[in-house]
This record gives sequence, structure tokens and C-alpha cells, in this order.
Amino acid sequence: MQESGYFDKYSPISGVWDEMYGADANVRDHYRKVIEYISGESADDLNKKEELAKRLFMSQGITFTVYNSGEGIEKIFPFDIIPRIITADEWTFVERGIKQRLTALNLFLKDVYHNQFIIKDGIVPIDIIYSCPHFLREMYQLQVPYDIYVHISGIDIIRDYDGTFYVLEDNLRTPSGVSYMLENREITKRLFPDLLPQCGVRSVTEYPTILYKNLLALSPRQIPNPTIVLLSPGIYNSAYFEHTTLARLMGVELVEGRDLVVNNHKVFMKTTTGLQQVDVIYRRVDDEYLDPLVFNPSSMLGVAGIMGAYRKGNVAIVNAIGTGVADDKAVYVYVPDMIRYYLNEEPILKNVPTHQLGNADERAHVFENINKMVIKKTNGSGGYGMLMGHAASEQEIEEYKIEVMKDPRNFIGQPTISLSSAPCYMQGELQPRRIDLRPYALYGPDGIEIVPGGLTRVALKEGSLVVNSSQGGGSKDTWVLA
Amino acid sequence: MLSRVAASFYWLSRYIERSDGMLRMLKINYASSQDTIQEFTWAPVIRIFAGSGDEETERLENDSRAVLKHMVTGKENPNSIINIITLSRENARGVQEHIPKDLWQCLNEYYHTVKDPKIEKSLQREDPIGVLDVLIKQVMLYYGTAEITMERGEGRSFMNIGKYLERAIQSVDILDIKFGSVSDNPDLLTDTSYWKHLLQSIGGYELYLKTYREGFEAGNILEQVVLNNDFPRSVIYSVNNIQRYFDRLKNNSNMDDFRELSFQIGRLQSKIKYSSVKSIEQDGLHQYLTQIRKDLYGIGNALNEHYFANS
Repeated sequence: MQESGYFDKYSPISGVWDEMYGADANVRDHYRKVIEYISGESADDLNKKEELAKRLFMSQGITFTVYNSGEGIEKIFPFDIIPRIITADEWTFVERGIKQRLTALNLFLKDVYHNQFIIKDGIVPIDIIYSCPHFLREMYQLQVPYDIYVHISGIDIIRDYDGTFYVLEDNLRTPSGVSYMLENREITKRLFPDLLPQCGVRSVTEYPTILYKNLLALSPRQIPNPTIVLLSPGIYNSAYFEHTTLARLMGVELVEGRDLVVNNHKVFMKTTTGLQQVDVIYRRVDDEYLDPLVFNPSSMLGVAGIMGAYRKGNVAIVNAIGTGVADDKAVYVYVPDMIRYYLNEEPILKNVPTHQLGNADERAHVFENINKMVIKKTNGSGGYGMLMGHAASEQEIEEYKIEVMKDPRNFIGQPTISLSSAPCYMQGELQPRRIDLRPYALYGPDGIEIVPGGLTRVALKEGSLVVNSSQGGGSKDTWVLA
Repeated sequence: MLSRVAASFYWLSRYIERSDGMLRMLKINYASSQDTIQEFTWAPVIRIFAGSGDEETERLENDSRAVLKHMVTGKENPNSIINIITLSRENARGVQEHIPKDLWQCLNEYYHTVKDPKIEKSLQREDPIGVLDVLIKQVMLYYGTAEITMERGEGRSFMNIGKYLERAIQSVDILDIKFGSVSDNPDLLTDTSYWKHLLQSIGGYELYLKTYREGFEAGNILEQVVLNNDFPRSVIYSVNNIQRYFDRLKNNSNMDDFRELSFQIGRLQSKIKYSSVKSIEQDGLHQYLTQIRKDLYGIGNALNEHYFANS
């Protein structure tokens, strides 16, 4: 094989698993075709591709708006043109792991909202559950269709220095980013003509079809054309583009809270011809804002009375309300035990070792080794409010400790995992950057289906370990090989 | 169709039509400001499109560059091109899955063009007509794309109702202010370039020359802008189209709502249809236009109440 200049100049980070660069200092087999392809392109050609990608994102309005001093600025979610590639074997493993984990988490939700066997049997301590703000009394003893709570999940997966897969967090509420999985693939088709079929990359286009099929199956009314809607907080939400994309791809109505009313425990939407009953709601509004009568009374995004309609079984809501108790980071610690308890199986995907700061001994251990630790809020997300011990100053650490001591239950500590790296195209050359992986799993009456692919997020800043878009992260197209 | 979606169609289209009217008006007025030995006043334009107070109008009226900035890129002016296109695009975003992707991209590009800091710079330093032409071209692209790609359904009807309602209101406002200036300053009555610019700014100059051979006369201009069925910016043409597109909603409407609106539109249509220059002049032009404006606003309010669920 003709080695490319791009590959020769590539220097992987030592002590980090690189997706492309093998132990024998050669290109791993599954990256070979892509490297060959880009070797034939000059830096100019690749720069042009990068430009084209930016232009496509901008003109299609695949942007999010950052509001700064009253003025909206359109930004694109940075996109790296070099795909992240996953082999068939790796995928099979990850897929099995996610299915197992999701099955257990879903059983756990059914259990905590009904008989609570797992608490009575002493597997999960009761105070962890009852102190979780996302554990909702309103869901107690409520029967949900097919006993499915988590219809859509985006479990974050990372790889340590030896390539072992770990679950970093379970996103079981309203995970976002799936539109980027779909759009990144569309853009890659334009950037690298013919390359996808040559490499045998599996398609991701089934996602909206499967989701629609699952939503359809949930309709409480047995009628030929039930009304399915996607409930969005509106155009100012940073994921609004995703909401419109999904609504368009599934051919369902995109609604906002103000489009819906509840009458006699049924949900209706306001149309030009009067009220029309709604059967299934795929909501992208958090639990807290869903019903001002039951949750946050100042919410303008929700629908008054919707919880009553849900409890009556007159409308299906996806994901179910109250799933946040299962992706709380303090509960995360117990997921391997849940898998053993409910399924009598050993967990396929490992948890990152996690210390609860609510426990005095563990807290002391974390504080002693704080330079090797990451501390996170148990119900935080988006990379906000976390402390990276190896990068923080003395003062930041002291301030953070004070914050932790106010309510230790709300914090966990994890050893810094060194995240695998993948090649990114940066100013004319390939450079390693840290990545993670979020596959999207759809749980319907027919079981769990995962489209082969997902969102690969990448920390574009050199040396950074944080992939969140709010912290300078970007994304890559994710290829699963057949 | 969702009420909110119908309202968004209506408003996104009204704002586009408004931007079109404004841009053409600005272009012709700027050109005529370059072609006069007297001091040129922008006061009528500012009053028609910016709804500014007397103080602001006085501050701006003799400074072409300042007016252009205020009307095109002025962030503090709620009716500037940049602000109404932002609103139009926000309405379009709210119905993104209902409009063809091409149309969305077109509107999105229009927005990014107006937002480009280069526009403001060129307006201040270079030839403003070139800049206005770039923007007018964006509007034309939008109309072309809408014509070719928009599904012939409810959404398009609401869009066109918005478009023609906006256009009718504009024509009424322009006439009212321009003829108002004449009654304040009767010298204008015989000022050929005054009438010529008025016609050019609404794209009716060539039609006028073909129709009337005897030079510029106030009565003829009134006839063309209010009563000519073939002039696309006339009040009657716009109202006929409101009626035409509203009629198409019949099968998708609640009958009581439909009848109410249909009655209001039909009444206005007859009122204009059975007027003549003579009868208008007898009633008083200002009173006549005021009544029509009131009826047009009434139609807007009735749509709001009966179709957009905003009562």
C-alpha cells in the first residue's frame, strides 16, 4: 500500500487508544480505504471539502442560535470531514451491550414506579432514589403502554487506553443529536463520492421510519390514522433544527405547547378547522416544563392538564415521564447491579468506576486524588458544572470543594478516562483528537433496535477531553462497516 | 392545518411583501434624490414605512444615507428590512417542515444577505442602488421559488392572502400620503417628476404611459392605482386575489368562520368595484382610503380570530 503524507505526519498521543493508528504503527485495516482515498487529494482539495461542508450546513439552516446582547448569531455545530469508523465486530459488541443495559434500565423504571423490589431487596438504597429530583411521585403505579418507558435513548460510550468500551452516561430523557447523525451522513455523501459503498458502510436512514413505526404502535385509540405530534419548545430552542428535521422525515405535525389544549382529559391541537384529538406525543420538552398544573407552574412551554390526560391513558407520551431517575449519575453506579438483578447476566459494557461524594469515605478518597479525578453533578448535562481535576487550578479546586460540601449527594467523582482519539483534518494535516460515541436506541413493542451508527462527538481543542458542543466540541460522521 | 402554522404562513408572506414594497420605494426615491435641484425630502417614505414620529422624521428627512441605514439595516427601527426579514424567517422556521426545502433555503439566504455587514458598509460608502438591487433580487428569487415549489394547498392560500392584504394596505397608504402632500402643496399637482416617481416606485409607470396619452393627471393615477383590474399593485387587483385565495379555503374551513370572512371580503370587493374616480372624489379621497384601510385591517383581525385561534 502506498503510504500517504497525511498518515506519515500523523503522531498519535501516547498512552491513548487511536481508532486509526494501530499498535504496529500502521493504519488499522478498517481505516485503510479512507486513508488511501484522501492521499489522492491535495490539502487544497480537502480545504475545499471543508468549505463545502460549512456552506451546506449554513445554507440548509443546520445551525443553532447563540443569543448575545439581544442579537442572535447563527453558528454551525463544527463538523470534521474525516469519518470515524467502527468495525462490524466492535459494533456487534456495543449493540449487544446497549440492548442489555437498556432492557435492565427499563425494568428498573417499571420497578421503582411500582413494587420497588430492587429497593426492598437492598440492591439500590432507598435514599438515592427518593433524593433524586427526577423521581416523580406522579408516575407511581401508572401503567404505561407495553411497559416501555425509554423509547429513545442515547447512551454515551467511550474507550479507554486499551480500547475497552465504557458507558460514560445513560441519556434517557430527551437525548438530542440524532439529526446530526443523519445530516453528517448526507454531507459525507457529497464530500466523498463513491467512498461509502466502496467501504461497505451501513446506512442510517432507517431511523425515522423505525421511530415512526414505534410511535404509531403506541396510539391509545385503535383508529386507522392516529394523530402523532412532535412537541417542541419552539424556534428559540437550540435543538429546534432537529425537531423540524424529525417531524419532516416522519411526516408528523410539529407543535408547540400553545398549539395544544386539554379538554375532558383528552389532548387536542388547535387547527384552522377546529380542535383535533392528539394520540401520541413525542415530546422534546423536559418533564419539569410539561404541565404547569403539576410541575413548574411558571412554564410556558407545556400544556395545562396534559399529565391528567396521560394518567387516564388518553394520550401516549414519549419518552415516558420520570425516566430521569434512571439516568441520574448517582443511580448510574448501580446499573451493573441492576443488570445482574433483573437479567441474571454479567454486564457486557462496563461502567466507569464511580465514587459517590455523598459517602464520606469515598469523598475523602476523591479529594485526596483530585488531580486524577473528574467531578460531576449528578443531574447536570452538557458539560456544565464539572471539574477536571488534572486541568484545574488550586483555587478552582478549593472553590469546587466548598460547592460539593453544600450537598454532596449531588456530586460524583470518576477517575479521568483518557478517551480514545481519532484523526481530524486540521489546517492541512491529520491530528488526533479525543472522541466519544452516542448510538441511538429505539425501544418499541417489537424490541430494541439500534441503527448502525450514531453521533461521534469530538473535542476539537488540542489536548481537551470535553466533547460537549457547549465546550468547543464538534462532530464526525460515524461509519459502521458491514 | 394548525392555527399557528396558518398564522406563520400568513405573516412570513406579509413581511416579504412589505420588504419588496419598501426596497422599490427606497430605490426610486434615492434615484430621484440624485436628480433634483431642490432639497429632497424623504418624509413621505419615512411616514409610510417606518411609522416614525415627527421628531425622528425631521431628523432624517434630508439625509439620504441616514434614511437608507434606518430603513434597511436599522436595528432600532422595528420595520427595517433587517428586522422584518428576521421576523419572516422566524415564522418560516416555525413551519419549516411545511414549506419546501428550496423555499426555506431561499429565505434563509435572503436573511444572511441582509445580515452581512458588507451591506451596511456599501449603503454608506458605495452606490446604494446596487445594494438595493441585490436585495430586490433576493425577493424575486423568493417569489419565483414559491411559485415553482409551493404545494397548491392551504398553506399557499394563507401565504397569498397575507401577500395581497399587505400589498393592498401598502397601495392605500402610499396613495393617501402622496395625495395628502398634494393638498398641502398644490404646486405638486403639475410637477411631472412627482407623479412619475410615484408610479415608478410601485412599478406602474410603463402601464400608465400605455393607458393614458395625455400626460400625468391625478385622476388617472388614482384610477390606475385603485381601480385598474390589470395593474398588479392596484387595490382592486389585490382585493380580488384575497377573495380568490380565500375561496380556496372553503373545503378546509369551519362553515361559520368561512361565511363571516367571506362576507367581509365580498363587501370590500364590491365597495371598490362599484366606485369611480368621480365618486371617490365626491366622497373625498382621504375618507375613502381611510374606510378601505379600516376594512382591510378588519379582514386581518377576522382571520386572527376565526383561523389563527388568537381571539
